[in-house]
Amino acid sequence: MNWDNTTLFSDDNPADAAFRREVRQWVDKNCPENLRDRPSRVTPPEMKPWHKKLFERGWIAPHWPREAGGMGATLEQQLILFEEIARIGAPTPFPHGLNFFGPILIHAGTPEQKARHCPGILSGDVTWCQGYSEAGAGSDLASLKTRAVLEGDHFIVDGHKMWTTNGTHADWMFALVRTDAEAKPRHAGISLILIDLKSPGVTVKPIKTIRGDAEFAEEFFDNVRVPKENLIGPLNGGWKLATMLLGGERFATGHPRNAAILLNRARQVARVTGADADPAFRQQLAALEIDLLAFTAYYRHGAALHGLGKVPESMTPVMKLAAGPLAQLASEFLVQVAGPAGASLADMEVDGEAVNPAEDLFEMRRVTVGGGANEIQRNILAKRALDLPS
Amino acid sequence: MEPILNEQQSLMRETAVRLCKDYGGPKRARALRNAGTEMDVPAWMELVRSGWLCAAVSEDAGGMGMGILDVSLALEEAGKQLLMVPFAEVAAVAHVLGKIGARAENQLRAVQQGLQILMPALPQEGWGNVGSALPIARFEGGQWFLDGRIRHVPFAQSAQSYLVAARIGDEIMLCAVLRHLVKLDTVANVDGSTSSELVMDGSLVEESQVMVRGAQAQELLETLRDLLAITTGAALVGVSAAALEMTLEYIKYRQQFGKALGSFQALQHRVADCFVNLELNRSLVYRVAASYDAGQMHAAMAAAVKARTSRVALSLTRDALQLHGAIGYTDEHDIGLYYKRAIALAALYGNDINQTARFSALTL
Repeated sequence: MNWDNTTLFSDDNPADAAFRREVRQWVDKNCPENLRDRPSRVTPPEMKPWHKKLFERGWIAPHWPREAGGMGATLEQQLILFEEIARIGAPTPFPHGLNFFGPILIHAGTPEQKARHCPGILSGDVTWCQGYSEAGAGSDLASLKTRAVLEGDHFIVDGHKMWTTNGTHADWMFALVRTDAEAKPRHAGISLILIDLKSPGVTVKPIKTIRGDAEFAEEFFDNVRVPKENLIGPLNGGWKLATMLLGGERFATGHPRNAAILLNRARQVARVTGADADPAFRQQLAALEIDLLAFTAYYRHGAALHGLGKVPESMTPVMKLAAGPLAQLASEFLVQVAGPAGASLADMEVDGEAVNPAEDLFEMRRVTVGGGANEIQRNILAKRALDLPS
Repeated sequence: MEPILNEQQSLMRETAVRLCKDYGGPKRARALRNAGTEMDVPAWMELVRSGWLCAAVSEDAGGMGMGILDVSLALEEAGKQLLMVPFAEVAAVAHVLGKIGARAENQLRAVQQGLQILMPALPQEGWGNVGSALPIARFEGGQWFLDGRIRHVPFAQSAQSYLVAARIGDEIMLCAVLRHLVKLDTVANVDGSTSSELVMDGSLVEESQVMVRGAQAQELLETLRDLLAITTGAALVGVSAAALEMTLEYIKYRQQFGKALGSFQALQHRVADCFVNLELNRSLVYRVAASYDAGQMHAAMAAAVKARTSRVALSLTRDALQLHGAIGYTDEHDIGLYYKRAIALAALYGNDINQTARFSALTL
């Protein structure tokens, strides 16, 4: 039996198996060649044609309900789409609109808000970014200071957001802002509003990342007028919306695919460099593959429990603590396997494909920081799952 | 995370929790170790009565018609309570006997009824990756005679016979070898379990004790190896879980600097990492066992189970000792029993290094 680390433990029922075949064929035929197995990050403009194809096929938002324009797919179908896109090295559409904001909008938005914003998220015509972090509010997000003061029909927004992925390309931002400076606890004075980044008073500056690209940006808000109807949910009710886990989107962010792809890339590179004949390489690869198998087992177990509505509170932090470090180890392994080329800015040519181990290494550094650093996840586990005292 | 079980499985699990509590626990494990007792006979009798030795044997072959997942769930409990019985081994052997059919029928019935303990006796060193030659079988006057040595067989003094894979030229056979026809050289392990060298110097095996030969024997030997890896892995998950639980209790209660140890972030993060590792292993055992039962297991998955459950049991019990401070270094405290059981079980049926190498060979 061949070992395929991208579909471990996927026990599809006959209908799902047929769906998997259909997706596999379609993805292979329709994904633009220049986006497959890309060593460098795909930018929002490059992503658009692929996003559009998935949208036209009706597969762009498998986890959204049908009435909102999604597929209303089961979690199994969502995972199949995810896996089959990953299998050929195609990029997953950006999650900010589809996975982060979309579910909140569907859950808490007014009919007008949904009608206005859902179509753009689905078609990919509108690029969204998430405005949560600030210079002084990282892990301690509730200390955020960007202010929104209601004056008549508008909020007047002043402040500064940072570490915004796709910030320079984004049209809109869903942002957490302080609407009550006196509130105690602090998170009770935070609201979620939508900011059109073309509004007067908004200045966007790129931030060069460790990879050397401008994935991040910072935004300055100076007297920016945001219409009152851009408030999502209740005034001062933003924290709950931003931190609630809606449905199965956590399965998209925690998927074992990152590590699987990197380990397969390491195998490919090892065949070219000859490292695959080295027993030390094999033993290390096997150890990582074993960790990947264990994590995949946990992941599938969680997905099955999700279907039964029995997911324990510990699952999200455990997935994050397992997936991130594993992907990082895999990227570090890839750099080792590449030898001197692991330090190069230039791409390696492997089986006619471009591979850049250092790019992968840098890309993976983000996964244990974004969305609540792993140290925060450990705190959460200690308090909520292990019942340890403060 | 909790396994997803049907009603029958939940019931069996509840019974296993009770049985293992009643017939196990650190106090009992300590007493057995101090007395130099190889096997807990009352606990074994109870397991025979429960029928679980043949839980993963089909109903046609006289078993309960459940699976390796069910056996693994019970073994997790046995691991938690440090039961000193060859449950992992005999359940795996019974499953294999059930697959052989008519030629193993008598052996299986004797196992099921508690008339014999049939221990698998397979070469341990390198776990089949390197060295470890099988005994040689020769056929003379209508009977078989075995020559060779098999080291590190557990529970060998308590067994009535051994399931041995012997070589006949290019092929192998699986046969039952009677204990009194083998010379035993037994030493004690760190946890009070035993490790015996079986010396076969023309040990007689009657034709009726040869259960299977050739390609099928080779295949069943591989199955037996896989199952021993999974069942022992399940027990290691239990050992790890109990050690973590004991440690959490300790750091919640133990005060230093005027507050509970468990309130210090450095310690919280350490046990959080232990928890993550353990949770992944539980899912790994459940998924791999279920895959085996569904006929969809890749052999590398069994190797992964034993490699990772061994690795985590060793690191987790070591952390547990550290978090207990000086008391963890005493013989008096129970946490040391879990540490030592982890060492003993991790070493059996392929340790982390052996099984990782096996995984590698199976996936390249």
